[in-house]
Amino acid sequence: MTADTANDRPVLEVTNYSMAYDTDEGRVDALKNVSLKVRRGQTHAIVGESGSGKSTLAWAITRYLPGNARELGGAILLNGADMIGMPRADLARTRGRRVSMVFQDPSSSLNPSMKLGDQVTEVLRRHRGMTAAEARAEAEAALARTGIREPARIMDRYPHEASGGEKQRVIIATAFACNPELIIFDEPTTALDILTAKQILELFVKLRDETGVAALYISHDLGLVSRIADTVSVLYQGEVVEDGDAETVFDRPQHPYTQRLLAALPRPQDRIAVEDPQDTTPLMSMEHVSVRYNVPSLLTRLFDRDAAPHFGARDISFDVRPGELLGIVGESGSGKSTIAKAATGLNPFDGRITFDGRSFDSRDRFDRDYRRQVQIVFQHPDASLNPRETIGRILARPLRLYDLVPRDGIADRVRQLLEMVLLPPEFAGRYPHQLSGGQKQRVAIARAFAAEPKLVICDEITASLDVSVQAAVARLLVELQSRSGAACLFITHDLNLIRQLAHRIVVMQHGVLMDEFDAADATAPGRADYTRALLDAVPVARMPTLPQPARALLS
Amino acid sequence: MRRILSSPNGIAGSVLLLIVFAIALFGPWLAPYDPQLFHAQNRLEGPSLQHLLGTDQYGRDLLSRVLNGAPTTVLFGLGATALGVGVGSIIGVIAGVAGGRTDGVIMRILDGMLAMPELLFTLLIVTFLGGGTGQALLAVAVTFTPGMARVARSSVLSVRTREYVLAAVARGESRAWIVFREVLPNAIGPIIVEATIRVSFAIMIGATLGFLGLGAQPPSTEWGLMVSEARQFMFRNPWCVAIPGLAIAMTAMGFNLFGDALRDAFDPKRSHG
Repeated sequence: MTADTANDRPVLEVTNYSMAYDTDEGRVDALKNVSLKVRRGQTHAIVGESGSGKSTLAWAITRYLPGNARELGGAILLNGADMIGMPRADLARTRGRRVSMVFQDPSSSLNPSMKLGDQVTEVLRRHRGMTAAEARAEAEAALARTGIREPARIMDRYPHEASGGEKQRVIIATAFACNPELIIFDEPTTALDILTAKQILELFVKLRDETGVAALYISHDLGLVSRIADTVSVLYQGEVVEDGDAETVFDRPQHPYTQRLLAALPRPQDRIAVEDPQDTTPLMSMEHVSVRYNVPSLLTRLFDRDAAPHFGARDISFDVRPGELLGIVGESGSGKSTIAKAATGLNPFDGRITFDGRSFDSRDRFDRDYRRQVQIVFQHPDASLNPRETIGRILARPLRLYDLVPRDGIADRVRQLLEMVLLPPEFAGRYPHQLSGGQKQRVAIARAFAAEPKLVICDEITASLDVSVQAAVARLLVELQSRSGAACLFITHDLNLIRQLAHRIVVMQHGVLMDEFDAADATAPGRADYTRALLDAVPVARMPTLPQPARALLS
Repeated sequence: MRRILSSPNGIAGSVLLLIVFAIALFGPWLAPYDPQLFHAQNRLEGPSLQHLLGTDQYGRDLLSRVLNGAPTTVLFGLGATALGVGVGSIIGVIAGVAGGRTDGVIMRILDGMLAMPELLFTLLIVTFLGGGTGQALLAVAVTFTPGMARVARSSVLSVRTREYVLAAVARGESRAWIVFREVLPNAIGPIIVEATIRVSFAIMIGATLGFLGLGAQPPSTEWGLMVSEARQFMFRNPWCVAIPGLAIAMTAMGFNLFGDALRDAFDPKRSHG
């Protein structure tokens, strides 16, 4: 075989592959007739929403399927070698040596009881037959290539002593260590902060170009994929609905599903906010609010003089105006949720919160009236509804608690609330587990608005939802806001989304307020360096050519 | 229930429990003889048509005695568990919900109690209170309390920080509502499972106490006591030890298997066979 034909042959070739899971409810199709090719030096992306089967495909390729998986036909070839029929012993040699994988969550894909260095050298000794000393030298070189500053020191640390970014670099170094033919990346940046994710992505591009490895990149983030992939397959309910050259797919999507996905990406220029409120007298103001965690007790201080409380948020001051949507942006650990919890009485705080002319200097002063007027919606739709109550009872609770509706009118009001968030009235009799994530989040929003609040705090409410659901929930929120006139404090890490929704934006880092500006001035000169870094890390997705306007596609 | 019956363990456990409960309910009526009646002519006999499972050292019919002992033994297990689980759960829930210093104090006291081996602790209490069924029941319940409190507390803690509970706190709900409507219904699963498995321990500890002469007193038909009384005659008629022993084993196994199946049924992440 000449070098030419070897280059022509795809590194990974999946043809008409189908698979199903046997469950209590019968057989569920996970993948239907999936075909794709990844060539040397190229990145093929698989995009799809949760449940589309993208991770299942990755497991199928590495032959790591659960016991209830049933393969219904098709072929998976790695450089011409059949993976499906491969004997166990060969598979063990193939994994790590010829195919390696990088997972989503770096904190759970490393063994916590092994030093980072040992986890890299293990692969080298196992697959490349190196001695301990050789492996150590090679591992150090591999780590250095990933941009870790002092590889020798990192190698002597345990996973919990390294940051998320460092851990993901170690995993990537391990994946590249044996010069594999194919590397599968399963959402490698999803669990990381915006700035770290950007660095990891740059590292991926650099290493790919240096080594010429074939990469299969699985992600739900279309904006990200459009920047790094050569070819792309769009997966929807286990089926490839559209594939081809990345540029073509992202610029001129053909399938309605792809069109909808791309239209749903948040772009700051399509504003979906209520009109700018005229009233600038603050509805709520935070004055020098600080939240401390783990305040050491007298006894602890006696033994450990250095014991000091940890500040979740320090000296935060800002206003929320009536009817506006104020965005709070920051990475994880920046203190944005801490502020939300302080404002709803879930965290004790120092400082003062003034709301509607009344001032509170401790959470114990929050009375029923304050709690009714300030409502909160949480991030995880699965956790924010009591699984043992029906939707109807969940929605009726604030009505009863605050005596908003006469007893015989509650059922009617619940129906109205469901209608308001575009859910059918028969949902009142269902339990949360019978609803999808987006539907649950709508119920949580309806519950907040049921109290007829003046301020609704939304803590990352779209973060765990798929792109298209996220867009719908955001639109719904704005719609409810314009109907009720309530102000909204919207906490998020997604800058593009918040620039679409907010009137003003507050940026937080390490518990401190860094920047505050009008949404329109986000890119204006004079922004804090940190704000600019965040903006640079998430480029705005291009608008594809669509057969009809984005709004029409989403409704 | 369907999920419990979908595993062989679950079916075996359910069947055993069904048999045990049937015997406990109807046993005394089914018994062919008075359990205390002496048949001086037929002492220490093996199974025969007259005495289906044989007789003991006084010529009392073993089948009748086992059937009569079932309610005492099973009720003992259920009663001791219910008391221990009830008190333990209340303590655990209080500790879990209150948190902070209350939690610290309660848990350290319970840790102290847990440091004592279970049987030793029970024996200590019985020695203190004197022998008898009621005392033995109380002793077993007290021994169970710290363990159950731990289970209840950890279960409450895992639920307490869920967002629906936070939402209720933020709404300004009363403490009672949060505990009884939001936390407890979601935390009760592990408590029930643990309680089921503990019934079998209670029965075995009860039997042990009976055997040691510290539980039920003769001429009671409590199974542990029966084993103990017949011990000296084991080599002349093994049946009089084996029959009550087997009855204890069957009951304990039934509760154990059922409890395991119940735990699997509650666990949504259980692996598919």
